[in-house]
Amino acid sequence: MLSLFRITDVSAHCDLPCGVYDPAQARIEAESVKMICQKVADNDDPDFRVRATIIKEQRSELVKHHLWVLWTDYFKPPHFEKYPQLHTLFNEATKLAGASGTKGEFDEATADELLAKIEEISTIFWETKQG
Amino acid sequence: MRLRPVLPALVRVRGRSMLPTYREGDVLLVLRGARPRPGRAHVVHLPPDRWGRPRPLSVKRLTGTDPDDPHRWWVDSDNPAEGVTSFDVGTLAEEDIAGVVAGLVWRSLG
Repeated sequence: MLSLFRITDVSAHCDLPCGVYDPAQARIEAESVKMICQKVADNDDPDFRVRATIIKEQRSELVKHHLWVLWTDYFKPPHFEKYPQLHTLFNEATKLAGASGTKGEFDEATADELLAKIEEISTIFWETKQG
Repeated sequence: MRLRPVLPALVRVRGRSMLPTYREGDVLLVLRGARPRPGRAHVVHLPPDRWGRPRPLSVKRLTGTDPDDPHRWWVDSDNPAEGVTSFDVGTLAEEDIAGVVAGLVWRSLG
């Protein structure tokens, strides 16, 4: 209760104190990457390809960013105990979004692999929300 | 107009979402039960998050009424880069406005 005789803390926090996380952020960026690969396959315009390369690079980096936020900020030690494959999943997913994956090539199949990894992480994420 | 008692209270700011106006550790005088004043900072109860967990008592600026409901209040952070706003949590009913910030009582010299 607010009082003149006791100072109550009021929140003005930078991070949402409720902790809003959702693997959908990573998935949407990965879907952009996949769509860029499709569009480039149908287009020989060199300027378009340059723009597509730049945007694909940025979107791939965003996939990595969103995955790392989940990995470091959302998931906690009990989650890693319950799902021992989580570390490897994040490692493989971020590699698929990196230079040896969607950043370095225009391969739709790689983008599909990335989306499948994100889906696996998403399944675990929503399972942890049930408890 | 309904008469209601106005009681003073002290709060301490935690976090950066009200920068540059208020900063971490500032002690503010709050008038509980005072009529909400658009434009001023207020201490508010935010709705629980999407998993039903309560949010802490917060300091926010009332920027005006809800464009769709003149009985509800729109809240914003002063720091555009940080903090929850009505875009995230929706607008607040008048009973969720705990008090109006009357001013800064104490600020760390550091």
